[in-house]
Amino acid sequence: MHILLIEDDIQAASYLLKGLNECGHVVDHANDGEDGLHLALTGEYDVMVIDRMLPHRDGLSVIRMLRADNNTTPVLILSALGEVDDRVTGLHAGGDDYLIKPYAFSELLARLEALTRRNSTTNIEQKLQLADLVIDLRKQCAHRADKPVHLQPREFRLLEFLMRHTDQVVTRTMLLEQVWDFYFDPQTNVIDVQISRLRSKIDKGFNLPLLHTVRGVGYKLSETP
Amino acid sequence: MKPPEFRLFRTTAIRLAVKSILFYGFLLLLVLAALYWVSRSHIDDEINTEIEHEIIKLQQIFNTSGSLQLINHIATLLRHKDHIYYLQSAEGEKLAGNLGYWPEEVDIEFSGLAQGSWVEDEALPTGFQEDDAYLPVAAIKFSDGSRLLLARNVEQASYLLEMSEFLLEAMGITILFTVFIAVILGRQILRRMDIIGASASEIMAGDMSQRVPVSHNNDEFDTLAKRLNAMLDRIQKLIKGLRDVTDNIAHDLRSPLTRMRNQMEVTLLEPRSPEEYQKVLRHNINEIETLIRTFNALLSIAQTEAGHHRAQLSRINLKQLALDLMDLYTPLSQSKGQSLVLINGDDSFIFGSRDLLAQSFGNLLENAIKYTPRGGEIKLHIKASANQVEVIVADSGPGIAETEKDHVLEKFVRLESARNTPGNGLGLSLVAAVAGLHNAELVLKDSKPGESNPGLQVIQRFSKA
Repeated sequence: MHILLIEDDIQAASYLLKGLNECGHVVDHANDGEDGLHLALTGEYDVMVIDRMLPHRDGLSVIRMLRADNNTTPVLILSALGEVDDRVTGLHAGGDDYLIKPYAFSELLARLEALTRRNSTTNIEQKLQLADLVIDLRKQCAHRADKPVHLQPREFRLLEFLMRHTDQVVTRTMLLEQVWDFYFDPQTNVIDVQISRLRSKIDKGFNLPLLHTVRGVGYKLSETP
Repeated sequence: MKPPEFRLFRTTAIRLAVKSILFYGFLLLLVLAALYWVSRSHIDDEINTEIEHEIIKLQQIFNTSGSLQLINHIATLLRHKDHIYYLQSAEGEKLAGNLGYWPEEVDIEFSGLAQGSWVEDEALPTGFQEDDAYLPVAAIKFSDGSRLLLARNVEQASYLLEMSEFLLEAMGITILFTVFIAVILGRQILRRMDIIGASASEIMAGDMSQRVPVSHNNDEFDTLAKRLNAMLDRIQKLIKGLRDVTDNIAHDLRSPLTRMRNQMEVTLLEPRSPEEYQKVLRHNINEIETLIRTFNALLSIAQTEAGHHRAQLSRINLKQLALDLMDLYTPLSQSKGQSLVLINGDDSFIFGSRDLLAQSFGNLLENAIKYTPRGGEIKLHIKASANQVEVIVADSGPGIAETEKDHVLEKFVRLESARNTPGNGLGLSLVAAVAGLHNAELVLKDSKPGESNPGLQVIQRFSKA
């Protein structure tokens, strides 16, 4: 992916650059809001990572300018402000996702992949398929190898989210936010239990496992582990 | 501090006294004016009657004894200081009296009735008023054509003076009395205030256990003292809480930081295999994860307690929120062999923050799942009444001893029995903070009082939206 990173903390930016490069991404970096906006308006990016508090022009203002210019590149906002209304104002300004510092690099990576994927898939699709697992979005039902998989409504949403992000790592926080609309840290392994239940419904009795655990990060729905 | 006598003059009592003196002084002047006006007209009436009677008497003398006798009689009457007479013959000659001339400009009816009239100063006898005077005057015409004018010099000033003197004396006495009372009151107030002030100074000096003495009078000072003491109790509790939190933060953040630092330092002492480095880094990431959680929880509590979220409260359906939470936690409780049941009535709306309520109820459910043994039951109960909604999370775990129930809402409190389960001791503090933000009543009770596993019931009462 071609990523634009606007972050004034040079040390943090250099680690991010290194990490993203090592994961095979091309990253342009700007130190302040003005430079960042210039790069964003002139370059072609798959996704942008914008810090909220920047010198010269703050992050939200950069995003507003971009959106006013009909630029629809997905934006992930980084912020040290973690209150509920901060997230809401960030998303209102035109951000697509919001990550609160301190965050895990794996979390950032997973969210960036999710954002670019979201950009390429549309909601008008009626069926999603991975190997022999098919879900019908209109009828809200799932089949594996033509046998029906009985899912609760929320389990279906969980599976749908995973199907929309096949071959990508999704974190527990992403699942909690996207499937349950909860924005807190559970102190228990509540998501793991949900996943293992879903796994028993879609993978049990089949030779090819589709729902994989990515150690230390989250989960991945894929034909290959 | 100012010298005592100076402070006395600044007391409320003295200020009130000065204000009341000004007020009553003004009132007194009004009364004085009214009194003057009333008595003046009364005196005028009396004088009028007097001169009317006198003129009748003089007419009788003229009728029975003749003009000469009248002239003699008038001469004897002139010794009265305030009396004014003028007897004029039919030809216009002065026959008797002390007026200089007949005040021609005065339009007097010769009826013998008294009336007010201006008399020029040139006409007035010496020793009377300097200016033209407005005097009660009566006049008659006799049968031989002579005319008699009778008047009284009314010394208005003396009446006013006497009256004001008396009233001013009365006012002086009132002022003295008021100041006396005010000084006594002021000193009393100062004495009581000094007691409170002395306690405040001791508290400022660092003795937080000091309290304002309360007398047995049960007056407004005692009410104030009691309020101040209640405030001090609260502040002392908050400071203690803050101190406990600081101590606990120190413990909960310092210990893992020390562990991490030591581990990394030791790892760097010698060259090691990549696997070993990876193991140390992974371990440290986990430690940091825990630290961040504690830190976020503390921040969240602090922000909630400070009321940061109050602005974006919206109408929340607790029933829907409960259903969402059930969706999330049912598999977890099932995996522990517990049954999680929702007892739910109709839609129940309150004003709140969904995010915070979700976190708060989530904490309670996680606690319940954590402490309830296999086979136990956890109930989430949304109970709506006419104007409030109760949210009850009840478990069948070991419960919390009565003496500990208040204590567990404080930050970083972990009961002995929970030492070996993961957690940071902030879960219930957040619940308390969120309840506080929503003005909800928070009660901790036994689910099944008297049983060996009494369980815990956390009740939150919200006002309906």
